[in-house]
Parts: sequence; C-alpha cells; structure tokens
Amino acid sequence: MSRNAPVVTWAVISLSVLMAQTAGVHAQSPDAGSGSAAVVSGTVMDASGKPIAHAIVSARSEKGGESSTAESDAAGKYVLAGLSLGDYDVTVSSPGYAAKTTHISVVGQQGTLDVALAASGQQQAPVPNAPVPNPPASPSLGDLGFSTEQTEGDPKLQALLKRRTEMLRVHQRLGLITLAPMAATLITGPMAKAKGKNGQTIKEPTEANLDFHFALGAATGALYGTTASYAIRAPRVPGTHKHGAIKVHEVLAWVHGPGMIATGVLGYMAFKQENSGEKVHGIAAEHGTVAWITTGAYGASIVAVSWPIHLKFWEKKQ
Amino acid sequence: MRGARILFLVALVAPAAVVAQADSQWQLQQSTLSYHMSHPMHEVDGVSRAAKGKGVCHARQCDFLIAAPVKSFDSGDTNRDLHMLETTRGAQFPMVVVRTHFADSELHEGTVYADLEVQFAGQTTHYSHVAFQRTDQGKDVHITGTVPALCSDFKIDRPTFLTVPIKNEIPVKVDMTWRPI
Repeated sequence: MSRNAPVVTWAVISLSVLMAQTAGVHAQSPDAGSGSAAVVSGTVMDASGKPIAHAIVSARSEKGGESSTAESDAAGKYVLAGLSLGDYDVTVSSPGYAAKTTHISVVGQQGTLDVALAASGQQQAPVPNAPVPNPPASPSLGDLGFSTEQTEGDPKLQALLKRRTEMLRVHQRLGLITLAPMAATLITGPMAKAKGKNGQTIKEPTEANLDFHFALGAATGALYGTTASYAIRAPRVPGTHKHGAIKVHEVLAWVHGPGMIATGVLGYMAFKQENSGEKVHGIAAEHGTVAWITTGAYGASIVAVSWPIHLKFWEKKQ
Repeated sequence: MRGARILFLVALVAPAAVVAQADSQWQLQQSTLSYHMSHPMHEVDGVSRAAKGKGVCHARQCDFLIAAPVKSFDSGDTNRDLHMLETTRGAQFPMVVVRTHFADSELHEGTVYADLEVQFAGQTTHYSHVAFQRTDQGKDVHITGTVPALCSDFKIDRPTFLTVPIKNEIPVKVDMTWRPI
C-alpha cells in the first residue's frame, strides 16, 4: 500500500470515510477475509441532498490491477461490482460539480458509499440544453480497454507457477549433477571390458573396474530418472504455447530418454556376458555407441535450455 | 502609443496562452517495451508490443498512463517467460502500470523529463527526471527512452543460472507513438 488506507472492516471504513468526507459508508454483511468479488453501492447527491443522475463513479485499485466504473441512475444510485479486497480510490464526477475522490479499503463483500458533490465554484450555473464542460479526468486503467481477465490477479496461477519453478529448479540442479556420474561412466567404459575385440583377455581391466563402471551407470540411471521425474511432474500452465529453446530441449529428451533406458538394458546384458567370460556380442555390443549418443543428446539439451549462451567473461579476457 | 503596444503584445500572447491551456487527449498508437536481463552467460531481451496508454492534458498539466500485461513480454522462450512471470509475481499482479505527470510545455521539447510512478510486481516505485527523446511524426509524437529499473526496486528475487544471479539492473527501453485524439 502506498498510503495508509483505512483498515480493515466495513465498520472502520464507515467511520474513517465519514470523518474524512461528507459521504457515509455503512457496514453490510461483514465478511472480512472472503476472496469473492465485492460490491460497493451508494447514492451520488449534491450538497442539499438532491440525487445527481448520470454521475460517473470509478474505483481504481491502488495496485493498478483493477478498476470498475458505474453511472448513477435517475435516483443517484450506482453499483460498483466485481471489486477484489484491497485499497481503492473512488472518484465521482458529474458536469457542473467538482470531482471528488475518496480512498477506501474493501474488506468485505458489500458496502455502501454515499457521495455528496459540491458545485464547481469556477463554473457558471448550467444553462438549459447546453452541456457543461467537464474537465477531463486523469486516465485510469479502466480507460485503456484491457479485459478483466488481463487485469485481475490470479493467486492460484501464481501458486502454480511457484510450484512449477521450484520443481524445475530441482530438475535443473539434479540434471547438472547427473552430468558427473554420466561422464565418469563413459570414461570408465573402455576399462570395464574383460575381453578385447579379438577375444583376447585384457590384463589391465579388472572385475573391480567392471563393477565400478556398473555402479556408476546405475547411479547415473537413478539420478537421471529422478531428474526427469521433476520435469514430468511439474505442473503445466494452461494456455501456454511453447516456443523457443525449450522445444529443442524437449525434443532432445525424446532422444536421451529412450537412450538412457537402452543404455541401461544393453549395459546389463554386456555386464552379464562379461561376467560369464564371454566377449560382448549381439546388440549388447552397441552399449557404448548408444551411451555416447545418449550423452551427446543430454549435453545438447542442457545447452539448448541455456541458450543463448554468451561467454562474456571469456570475451573480456581477449 | 504605449497602450497600443500593450494591446499588440496581448494580441500576440493571448492565442499562445489559449493553446497552452487547451485540453488535449492522447492515445498510444503503438509501442515497444523491452526489458534487458544481463548475466555473465546470458543477454536476454523481453519485448512487449501489447501496451496501451492514454494521456490527458488539462490546465497546463498532463497525466499519462501506460499499462501492459506482464505476460505479454516475450523473450523468445516460453520456459524463461514463465519463470519471469513467477519471479515478478506476474500472475498475482498481472499488469505493469506507469503513470507520469508533467507540465504540458514539456510536450514541445526535444527531451521530455518525466517523473514516473511504476507499479509492477505488487510494488510501486518512483523514478525522477527520466529523459525521453521526443520527435514529431506528422501529427503523431514519437517518444523513446529508457527507464532505469532495478530488480531490487520491485523486491524481485534475481533469477540465477549456474548459481550466478542476473544483474540487478533491468533497464526497460521504451519506444512509443502517441496520437492526439
């Protein structure tokens, strides 16, 4: 709040406005804390209490996100509907009268605000059939033609966005962490073979190497699965049409996702063949190739979602 | 003779005074608002062309209002824009609203210095004496300038990439064409 608004019940509003203005606000059906739209109604009158017809009543939220406008009828009655809880400047104007702005806090569902306008001292008495010039009011958000859907806040959507961001933040961090065991698995791959290409025994590799490679692969798979689950379970935002680098990131997931599963299956087959003293053969022999393709797609998806990468610090060193 | 001179001066000055005091209203015809986000590994611009605006000049004072939906800013990537929307509390406070008030004589200067009140992310911040360049385009007026916004002005937690936050400065470039109505 940029100003100290009268708070926080309709009764308090009534008192504060009555003290500050000549208009009155009366409490009706207090329902502080309700999230539903509020209605403010009342009567526009002149100093003698005579109703003023066709007066323009506009409420502008202090936050700037909302506004509502109404016109008084022949009895001076007006209704401002669809207001949310919060602080508003209610401005009432009518030709021949000085516009009046009243600051209110909407804290319940219904309230009354009667406004008395003083005749404009600088203007002559209205001439019959001649429109009285009315000073243009300062522009308000309601003048700009935005739809209510565009200007009304949506706390539920905000909560959904927060949850989405938190989950994708975990997804991002785990994804980067996964790179470490993934790279280590690739590096230890060639050392995990017990048999060379021609079937000869490789002396340097040991069962420990094979087990280590297997463990790294398993850790990579587990981390990868957890990382993916955060992206998959992150809530979707309704009405969003994806475009840009995120689409490349998602397309690449269709490469490294199946690749990770295939690498694990082929790796397990190769592990069993190695453990039984066989040379890795059949589709299991493609374990390494699939692993490299999968890692390449995984790395590319990280680069894609980080795009555009601008190595500014590197350029500065030049 | 002296009286005639005075009458002559009055005759010269009076129309100018009338013009200066005349009410006028302005409508935003087209606009490009773009924020710039800077990170050691990223330089990103988010652009909105969805702003609407209205200006009213009365009694030698002008009030202008410009507003744009926060979600209309497009940085070229949906994921980044949704993150921006979350970080700036754009669902809860869906509009960025700028109000400015200045003497209408400023409207005739090449450089307009305006005091801005910006409502964004649930916060209201004031920027004083922000310079905008003004050029005439037929009956339209073209305004360009930069609002020196900071994340901290609006209590925005700076997003991080690889644990490094973006810069606090998020200057907003403004390019607008106004038409009298």
